[in-house]
Amino acid sequence: MGVLSDHVMEEIRALPPQFPEVRSAVMPALDLAQEEIGYLTPEAMSDVAAALNLDPGYVEGVATFYTLFHTEPTGKHRLYMCTNISCKLRGADDLLEHAMRSVGVHEQGEVSADGLFSVEAVECLGACEYAPMMRLDHAYHYDLTPEKVDELITARRNPSPPVPARQTKPRTPRRQKTDG
Amino acid sequence: MAELRGTTNGPVLTRWFGTDDLHRIDVYERLGGYVALRKAITTMTPDQIVQEIKDSGLRGRGGADFSTGVKWSLMPKESAVPMHLVVNADESEPGSAKDRYLMENSPHMLLEGVGIAAYAIRSHQAWIYIRGEYDLPFARLTAGIEEMRAKGYLGPKPFGADWELDIRIFRGHGAYICGEEGALLESLEGKRAQPRAWKPPYPAQKGAWGRPTTVNNVETISTVPFIIDRGAAEYAKFGTEKAKGTRMFTVSGHVQRPGNYEMEIGKTYRDLIEGLAGGALPGRTIKCWWPGGSSSPVMPGDLLDTTTDLDGIKNLANLKDHPAPPLNMGGRGFATMGGSGGVIVMDDTFCAVKAAHRLLQFYAHESCGKCTPCRVGGNWAVRAYDAILSGNGGPQEIKILERVQEGLQGGRCLCGLGDAAGWVIASSLTHYRNEYEEHALHNVCSAEKVGMAANA
Repeated sequence: MGVLSDHVMEEIRALPPQFPEVRSAVMPALDLAQEEIGYLTPEAMSDVAAALNLDPGYVEGVATFYTLFHTEPTGKHRLYMCTNISCKLRGADDLLEHAMRSVGVHEQGEVSADGLFSVEAVECLGACEYAPMMRLDHAYHYDLTPEKVDELITARRNPSPPVPARQTKPRTPRRQKTDG
Repeated sequence: MAELRGTTNGPVLTRWFGTDDLHRIDVYERLGGYVALRKAITTMTPDQIVQEIKDSGLRGRGGADFSTGVKWSLMPKESAVPMHLVVNADESEPGSAKDRYLMENSPHMLLEGVGIAAYAIRSHQAWIYIRGEYDLPFARLTAGIEEMRAKGYLGPKPFGADWELDIRIFRGHGAYICGEEGALLESLEGKRAQPRAWKPPYPAQKGAWGRPTTVNNVETISTVPFIIDRGAAEYAKFGTEKAKGTRMFTVSGHVQRPGNYEMEIGKTYRDLIEGLAGGALPGRTIKCWWPGGSSSPVMPGDLLDTTTDLDGIKNLANLKDHPAPPLNMGGRGFATMGGSGGVIVMDDTFCAVKAAHRLLQFYAHESCGKCTPCRVGGNWAVRAYDAILSGNGGPQEIKILERVQEGLQGGRCLCGLGDAAGWVIASSLTHYRNEYEEHALHNVCSAEKVGMAANA
């Protein structure tokens, strides 16, 4: 039994004509699957493989290669904290620990008890002039301090008005023509 | 949007930066945008454009520093299958943020350059491969493409010319290796991003989907409209005799004004770090700096007068009284390299061993696993650093690092990731051996003491 909804399966089946070859649709397809169910279960990868008529092993090979694909559950809000050298020189390690304490997790990748948060240390996010920084809910947050991190977390615990999470992600435009 | 940190009203790339809403097509056009694209496709032949770019001296700004015009001239003039321009917008070299700065502030400069470059190489379908984390640049480029389409600059007969162009965006999903040309093409084809086997065939023969392809960096392509609009000679007025133009530098780390700065090539890193970026933090001393991302061998702080042209950066003699690290790039000795222009500055409060440890964790994590020396070498180094920094190391760990750096270097792997990891160890160990020995032999960190005194 599939886990992806009919409309997501339909969206995935509509992807290949945008590319010269069907395999190029794998990552956009995995994106749609992850958007819908939160992380990539074997069933979700199997659905993607079926929609694109590809070997599920191939799909898993791609899904497990890239860090933005998750094969384990994550929090509704993922804190991707840059800890590479430019941010590290400006205090990223302490901020990472602070963020984990603040959301109540003991290790990276762990989901907070309320299901809202997970924290990951990531490599350079290319915003070094604003170090230390992180990506959260598809936006960059700059010049971080423990207070700023707490504010961002509190705003998501008590949303008023609700802070959109995954819905805000811009998707690959659908208007792209089929390959000539 | 966050405040702009970097050059505004600069000489070439940033000449319109600082204008409100520069990302909108009407603002960009009011300042003179799209004049170059119109000129190119209505009054010039593809070969004339290639010649103009050759004459300008423009070289690849992604780190490879190869002549852009020559690269374009390698594309076939006729092809039975479609040909592609692919823009490498997968900026992920630690310390490099300049492509993001260009794309989110002036997306149309890149898109206009894409139009000109695609026309020059006779491609009707260009792809921008952008790293998945770049949400704002992606949104800006997506909106920009729609604005172009609405104006008729994309699709059939832009500006009435007998020509057709489509620009598409492909989002990456987090892998440093995708900045490598072959790995990027594999990823665009929907595969695990692993570098391709030795060349030939070159991408100009068989690139994306087996079709003739040119891959260029964001900054390189963003420079093209200026050259076509103002002429090659106008661009070549900037720079030195051998290294033409301006380039973007990201300055990060321990400086007063981190930012993305446009500077004429040939000026010194002192002009950049102490001038534009404001120099060291109060009361601190610059201990070392990486000229072009973490992959460029680290340079001691007293060598800031190194010039930013090729001769200045590569020349071993410019290391002056410092020992030359055992760097092996295709057998040639070199001091360091300009790389992606990501200048990382570190002061005397931070430990050289801890910095190298963090970078080796990065290279070990980002190794794609295809070539064994890189797949295992990075981990050997990380374990040695772990031992040294936890007080469980000794002289043998330093020996391990010496052997591992050699094993990573020298073209043993398909791409430069392994070499870069080796260079980090080799350059750090050569210039800061005393700190390695303090940690390994005495479990002492002198930088930490400086840091504690500075913060006291």
